Amino acid sequence: MAKYEALRPSGARALLVLGISDVVALEDEAAVKVEVKHVSAWGRWARDVAVPVDAADVIAELGRHFDIVWASEWGHNAHTAFGEALGLPAEPWPFLPVQFDKLAAIRNYARGLPWVWIDGDVVDLHPQDPEDGEGIILRVDPGVGISGLDVGALVAAVEDLAASADAP
Amino acid sequence: MDTGTAYGLRLGSPLHDLAQVGQGTGYGEVLRRYWQPVALSEDATTRPKRLKVLGEELTLFRTRKGEVGLLHPRCIHRGASLYYGGVEDDGIRCCYHGWVFDTEGKCLEQPCEPEMGLHRDRVRQPWYPTQERYGLIWAYMGPSDRKPVLPRYDTFENLPEGEQLIVDDNGVGGGGPALLDFNWLQHWENVMDPFHVPILHARFSGNQFTPEMALIPEVSYEYTSNGVRSIQMRSLGDGRELRRVTEVMFPNLRVVASPKLASGQTNMIGWVVPEDDTSFRIFTIARDADPDFLKKLRSTHEGRPWADLDEADHQRLPGDYEAQKSQGDISLHSEDHLTTTDQGVAMVRRMMAKQVKAVAAGNDPAGLIRDETKAVVPVIGGNYFQGELLTEEQREAVDD
Repeated sequence: MAKYEALRPSGARALLVLGISDVVALEDEAAVKVEVKHVSAWGRWARDVAVPVDAADVIAELGRHFDIVWASEWGHNAHTAFGEALGLPAEPWPFLPVQFDKLAAIRNYARGLPWVWIDGDVVDLHPQDPEDGEGIILRVDPGVGISGLDVGALVAAVEDLAASADAP
Repeated sequence: MDTGTAYGLRLGSPLHDLAQVGQGTGYGEVLRRYWQPVALSEDATTRPKRLKVLGEELTLFRTRKGEVGLLHPRCIHRGASLYYGGVEDDGIRCCYHGWVFDTEGKCLEQPCEPEMGLHRDRVRQPWYPTQERYGLIWAYMGPSDRKPVLPRYDTFENLPEGEQLIVDDNGVGGGGPALLDFNWLQHWENVMDPFHVPILHARFSGNQFTPEMALIPEVSYEYTSNGVRSIQMRSLGDGRELRRVTEVMFPNLRVVASPKLASGQTNMIGWVVPEDDTSFRIFTIARDADPDFLKKLRSTHEGRPWADLDEADHQRLPGDYEAQKSQGDISLHSEDHLTTTDQGVAMVRRMMAKQVKAVAAGNDPAGLIRDETKAVVPVIGGNYFQGELLTEEQREAVDD
């Protein structure tokens, strides 16, 4: 157990793996409406970040369909720092403390559960594709992030994924 | 049953894309898009000097007419090293068969060949462009068609009466030897880790700086157009507040104001220049009235310089060198558990990854200057006590 072991998901639903930067904190010039939020980690530090105004709604909708897990260099601060800005539940979601080339960590965490991983492409130092039926990688425009995400289409895609995995 | 024992431990790997510096590596190509300090001006003489920069062996010399040359050392004739060459008016002569190369690698003579070399203008000794500024030799080691302007820094321009520029290549800020024997990134990213200061530099090393630096600061971080900045607020308990601003500028600058809390804009900048993947030098430029300013700045351990410590002292009073060197020749970044105090480090790594991708895509990395009229870089880093104001130029730079 030298490495951090994240809390296990319920196993009842597909996983939604979320990066932070480029996803809910836009680092490029924003192409969507954003609000600058002053986020803080336990008062130790603070940053002003540009959050799409509809990010909270998108994440709330995602939360109705998926078990959400953070996967980012923000570590356990992800939920704390963005709790207010994104209207997150008080009970923090699990997190994978990984900054680059996250696929192995996601795969290891999912243990066969279907997953969707939403992130910016900066994290892909060595891009890898998922294996057939394993999961879906969604790369966002760093000026848009998660804004306007078609959650319904994503849910359908994951159902297709699960169906194809179940097929003989 | 015992759990979590070291039995069967498999260690991870470095972030090579960010840590390695050779040609063709991710960040090695980023570093090569900027001018790098490679030596003190005084080190370029008519006696050739061996240099190693970004994993490349080089020969530095100054012709008798005063021009600086930085050449690949292996003579293109048959490989003898130009380190043993003789410097002349216009270039350096190989000791083996006397081929002469100027500071741009052009072959001026092949004395054993007919007519001094009928085809000498068809060969070229590999070379790098150099410039001299602020008492340093700067080299551009990247693709010729991407060469940028060599920046100036406002803190070194228009020196106040009585102040002078001071340069140093003895590892100021490294807390150890002049040539630091581990990967450069371990040092550079440490600049964005203000939380280690009250622990390493107060709790462990004894108060290496000032009592104020032992206070855990409240920090805010921000990306800038050319790097990452941390702003550390410390309430000093006497009604004053210290606003300490530290910056990393790309690709390898450390903008760290005096930890002894000299007031105002920093008077010094360091360049963390890798010799190779596992060693680096720090070139520091400072302005001060005291020519020994940088020597006096070197941190001590209970009043003693690092070089005077024995092994037991290093264990009892570890400083930056002990902490960073002990991370490994190249740290195993995949083993890191980045957490609350590592936000700045994570931001640096992320911005580095962006530059790796930008360069790989054929674009310029952050902060590169192509317009000579914009060559002066504003420096924000410094120690600002409550009530101290930034200049208008600094304020604009912050707002940008």
